[in-house]
Amino acid sequence: METETFKPSKYERFRIETKPAPHVYKIPNRFDVSAKKVRLAAMLVHEAFEFKLNKEVVLSRPCIYGVFGGHFGGFKPLKHKCVGCMRCVQEYPHIMTVKQSEEYNRLGDSFWTPEAVFTIWNEASTGKIPVKGMGYKGAFGGEGFDGIWTDMSEIVRPTRDGVYGREYISTSVDIGRKSTRVDFSKLDQAPSAVTVPVPIIFDELPTGDMSAWRAIGMASEKLGTFFVTRDQTRGEGRGSMVPIVDENSFHETIEKNPAVVEYDAERSDLFEKLASRLSSSIVIARMPVREDTGDVACELAREGVHGLHLYADYHGQDYSKDPRHVSASLKEVHQQLVKEGLRDQVTIIASGGITLAEHVPKAIMCGADLVGIDTTVLVALQAEFLGETRDRAGLKLRPRRIDPAWGAQRLVNLFGAWHDQLIEILSAMGMRDVRRLRGDIGRSMMDAELREQSFKGIAWAT
Amino acid sequence: MGNLELIVEKHSERIHHGLEVLPSLRHGLPAGLGNKRWTAELILATYEMALTGDLPKNGLEYKIGDSGGGFDVLGWKNNGFPKVDQDSIDLSIPLNKRGEDRKIEIPLPIYGGGMSFGSISLNFMLARARAAKRIRTYTCTGEGGYPDAIVPYRDHVITQVATGMFGVREETIQYAPIVEFKYAQGAKPGLGGHLLADKVTSEVAKMRESSMFTSLYSPFPFHSVYSVEDHKKHVDWIKTVNPRALVSVKVSTPTDVDMVAIGSYYAGANIIHIDGGYGGTGAAPEIAKKNIAMPIEYAIPKVHDYLVSEGVRDDIVLIASGGIRTADDIAKSIALGADGCVVATAEAVAVGCTHCGNCERGRGCQVGITTTDPELSQFIEPEWGETRIVNLYTAWTKRLRSILAGFGLKSVRDLRGRRDLLVRYK
Repeated sequence: METETFKPSKYERFRIETKPAPHVYKIPNRFDVSAKKVRLAAMLVHEAFEFKLNKEVVLSRPCIYGVFGGHFGGFKPLKHKCVGCMRCVQEYPHIMTVKQSEEYNRLGDSFWTPEAVFTIWNEASTGKIPVKGMGYKGAFGGEGFDGIWTDMSEIVRPTRDGVYGREYISTSVDIGRKSTRVDFSKLDQAPSAVTVPVPIIFDELPTGDMSAWRAIGMASEKLGTFFVTRDQTRGEGRGSMVPIVDENSFHETIEKNPAVVEYDAERSDLFEKLASRLSSSIVIARMPVREDTGDVACELAREGVHGLHLYADYHGQDYSKDPRHVSASLKEVHQQLVKEGLRDQVTIIASGGITLAEHVPKAIMCGADLVGIDTTVLVALQAEFLGETRDRAGLKLRPRRIDPAWGAQRLVNLFGAWHDQLIEILSAMGMRDVRRLRGDIGRSMMDAELREQSFKGIAWAT
Repeated sequence: MGNLELIVEKHSERIHHGLEVLPSLRHGLPAGLGNKRWTAELILATYEMALTGDLPKNGLEYKIGDSGGGFDVLGWKNNGFPKVDQDSIDLSIPLNKRGEDRKIEIPLPIYGGGMSFGSISLNFMLARARAAKRIRTYTCTGEGGYPDAIVPYRDHVITQVATGMFGVREETIQYAPIVEFKYAQGAKPGLGGHLLADKVTSEVAKMRESSMFTSLYSPFPFHSVYSVEDHKKHVDWIKTVNPRALVSVKVSTPTDVDMVAIGSYYAGANIIHIDGGYGGTGAAPEIAKKNIAMPIEYAIPKVHDYLVSEGVRDDIVLIASGGIRTADDIAKSIALGADGCVVATAEAVAVGCTHCGNCERGRGCQVGITTTDPELSQFIEPEWGETRIVNLYTAWTKRLRSILAGFGLKSVRDLRGRRDLLVRYK
């Protein structure tokens, strides 16, 4: 009798394989611990008498993290071990000082806070989400994404079951145009949408550093996402490349037949040309966000573009005469497309100022389908800040020499941490699909609006 | 005395001494202490109040933090000199306003929030319970069971029934004057609790009937509750097991928190307890604390106004928590519409917490608060902790009375919903 051979299922649940990729360049100590040495010596003598030269008691140190565990104890503290718990200061306020180090405070620029840089470094090195005790420690609200809270549900699943994978939450999104009707004469020409498992792609960066690009390419391939680039010689994983096409690179692009292409909508009108020569590719119009982007977006959608890549500067400000945060502009563009009945026909990719995990769901709530990350990539790869990194043309982040495989793992880890945090946000809302979040302003809470509602009737102080 | 005892004694004594010395600013304001919500001054002011039972006299800021929003941009109208005798002001509030069920009053509009055995040390838990007894208010078990050492204080301990049901037994429900259902908590809204493996010692595992050194997750949400009708069955269950108990329902602050409140009211709750996202004592993902659910300052008026419009405001007690740091925060919460507040972090600060947020690392809290480490836990002697917490509340009482006196209010109940007494700063 023939036995039926067992055929393993091809089903694979999406999972990002994180593994440690420690910093290769020394990161600054967060805290600067120091002791007044004469007082420390006097204290040791005093305690030697007090505890009758009981070495174990005298040398028992006021730190559970081993800051004073070196050969010279408090005389040469191991500053890298300090977590700022302040116990040494509590015990010996006349001897010990703990403060945030100068080096730490100098990290980043006016947008990238030292804390944000540290967060990205830790996510890239471990793939884990940041966890801390004793409540929130930051500013109440703020501008842009900081002024938005996401909703939660007291009882709707999947909640915790989603976080631990017992119930599946999809983070996949489609890039491409959705047909509103079936045109039987063009069935073979319609580009089908491509799916990315996480609503994040790597955006173009004005750096020629090939090791960084190789890392980006490798990570894109591993993650099943895309990277956007002007230079088509860049990177590995060419299948993941989204070239930005202009008249000069048109023929080169046609030969490569990429799944997705972008073109600068403000500089050229390549859509018809690209759509006819690359009939199976998804053509995205790339443009800076300005006051009139809503009108332009509607026009392009009517012309048939498959997607819009709307970008702000690296600090998340749009290019209007009176710049606003991209969250506000995105809402406007999204709502205008909805009003015109065009929203479902185009994919919106938002980039610029997407620097922390929470920016992803917030940008999606404001109307994007997915986001592009830029300076965050370089921060994850331990690039050096040389000044303000706001201007897209003059990037002030200098990549360091890296091993592309290490870099790729850092980026995979970053995606892993951000994916898990996206799941936290979705699960708290009881959502099983990130696509449901798109433009769902009703599940967001805006600081400015809530303040006016809740503090209505409270007079301004004079 | 063995070396271990000597070491514990040495560090206890020095920590306690430091908590006395630091607020004097003799050594300056510690540069690395505090953050925008709990500033260095606010932490030191809390140490000072916990030491003296009085408001700081050396200019330390004890009213607000530096978060740039919420309570920190609200102030009081200047009404000049006190208009009533402060000593005659009544700070008590009822915890049951329904016609039926037991009548309970607490002498000040504050009780202690849930912090579970396992997430905090038994000594700190005891300190809180002793303080609650002395003040004649309540503390809460949190979701970690009911250690035997707490039983003598049971008349002042709220039993929490949360989604993991850790340590929930018939007798612990029967002990309780108030049973609190924790549907959600502000620091982990929509996500449930998480006790990290390192903290699940044999005692904690025994109490929670789980395995040692294995992370424990609360399976959010209650898998037996998916509607107001299910919730009503929960309330009925508690009232069957302990007909004397009042029922409190703790929820987070989603956009429809007002609907949740009214649902809880109709399900029979005596207290609706809303917990904003900026508080919490347990380890939680940073993304949840910062981004999910609205701050308590915005949720209170929303719920209060809705309960008023539904005509049930005077039948249910509204308690606010999640970021209540000072007496001024409490008074502002009441002016925004709450009846009273639940406080937890401030009690931890009173016994030496620096709000550093390292609760989940390694051995846990360095001063013995959020830890199950046998050595570190001993830094907080229950009696010492009790005194510090009672002193903090005593100082807060003075501040509350001074605010009320300024407006000529003879009872804290008269402050409820008086937004007209507040001012906003830009």
